[in-house]
Amino acid sequence: MDRPADRTPQRAGPRATFDRALDGVKDDVLRLGALVEHALERAGRALEQRDTELADQVRWDDRDVNELQRQVNTEITTLIATQGPVARDVRQLLALYHAAAELERMGDYAVNIAKLAQQLAGEPETPILKQIPRMERICREQLRAAMRSLVDISEEDARGVAARDDEIDHLYNSVYEDAMQLLAVAPERARQTTHMLFAAHHLERLGDRVTNIGEDVVFLATGQVEDLNP
Amino acid sequence: MTESGDPLTVETEPRPPPVDEQPDDKGPTIRLMSSQLEVDEAEQIAAAVRDEGIPMSFAADELVFELDRLSCFYGSFQAVRDVSLQVPRNQITALIGPSGCGKSTLLRSFNRMNDLVDTARIEGRILYHGVDLYADGVDPVEVRRRIGMVFQKPNPFPKSIYDNVAFGPRVAGFRGDMDGLVESSLRRAALWDEVKDKLKQSGTALSGGQQQRLCIARAIAVEPDVILMDEPCSALDPIATLKIEELMRELKKNYTIVIVTHNMQQAARASDVTAFLTMGDDRAGYLVEMASTQDIFTRPAHRLTEDYITGRFG
Repeated sequence: MDRPADRTPQRAGPRATFDRALDGVKDDVLRLGALVEHALERAGRALEQRDTELADQVRWDDRDVNELQRQVNTEITTLIATQGPVARDVRQLLALYHAAAELERMGDYAVNIAKLAQQLAGEPETPILKQIPRMERICREQLRAAMRSLVDISEEDARGVAARDDEIDHLYNSVYEDAMQLLAVAPERARQTTHMLFAAHHLERLGDRVTNIGEDVVFLATGQVEDLNP
Repeated sequence: MTESGDPLTVETEPRPPPVDEQPDDKGPTIRLMSSQLEVDEAEQIAAAVRDEGIPMSFAADELVFELDRLSCFYGSFQAVRDVSLQVPRNQITALIGPSGCGKSTLLRSFNRMNDLVDTARIEGRILYHGVDLYADGVDPVEVRRRIGMVFQKPNPFPKSIYDNVAFGPRVAGFRGDMDGLVESSLRRAALWDEVKDKLKQSGTALSGGQQQRLCIARAIAVEPDVILMDEPCSALDPIATLKIEELMRELKKNYTIVIVTHNMQQAARASDVTAFLTMGDDRAGYLVEMASTQDIFTRPAHRLTEDYITGRFG
């Protein structure tokens, strides 16, 4: 009789299988965040540099974001149906599910900005309002911070993310005022001006979605549902 | 899923990227290894079943058991009717269903345990690695060595922990390093660390969960290929239950496991493939549906399955 190879089963607690699966979902949501951040950075660059090819890439790559979100949904549905998660476990799955949906939508905003970049590139060149690249940069910093707070389950960091949303809102208002002036003094550039206004609008919406992820983290950490951006 | 309704965002298709950057139609290759659930193989198979409408089936070399219209009788009473299913290798297959649906009878037919009941007989065939288990000339003792069983109530022999594990190999004539075999069996059953200093103590002195793991060590000491488990956790507390389930996931790397459970959550948590049986008007059990555990518990194909797992029937 052959002896079995001597092997000690890994014993990492009675819910090791669930914990491994949960880690996998977290990895996927982080990956989703990284894809969206990358899309946003490229969309912003396409806008500034009138780079229509880069904008095309952003539009194509959105399929990856959608596909990964669907995959996360399936993983979470399966874990809820098969693993009977309770308390923090179920809150974490719900928070990740919602965060994935928000990230997918943020990916759509990046696509919209890429489309605006393509339309702007077809018009006579007009300098991009300087607040827009700043909004884009803050959005990415916020997104990264939100994802970090989600992984660390840090309520404090999540509240910090929400607080900084005011900066984005302030910049958006400033873009609006500048756009109104531009429309008055250079009506022949109305198309470019409105494209920029819409790009800023998408960034403002994107910032709100980041705040929503912060709310998910607060729910995850405390079990309380709270509006961080009333 | 792109936002629409934006008047300034003209809906044009993006130009296709250069050929070398053509997006992969199979979807993004960005899945992280750690997120792979262990049910993936079974899931693919089940998806094929749903898409094609074919019965769940596996490649021949992935099969351990193949049941072909198996019926089981006790005297004139038919306990199981016309069950055809396949049990895949190195997976955990759960049999679920209401009390009396024949799942234990079915399980016991897998290693001819029902031979021990005078009135029991079967019709149809059970192929084990392609061999008809009930054919003339098949030795039921050898069948039970290769296809071990763990029962509902832990039943260690009233002997030392060591002798419980060594018993089977001794009977089988094992002449090698018995100490090593006992240790490796206890390690595989995730019990070694808890008993290594008291191997001479009685197995019956252990806790229920430890006794059940001792029974698993005893089952694997004779080098089986398959482990059948008949409600292995129904006498255990929740934490001991979760330990056994984690152990099953380790064991499936080396063994094929078939488990009967009326704890649906256990089937959901621990198995890869789930077969749902119920009984007809004549009280004979039959197979309603077999699919990946993920599919059974998220989108069962049959209404009877859905009613049972959601607690509306059974």
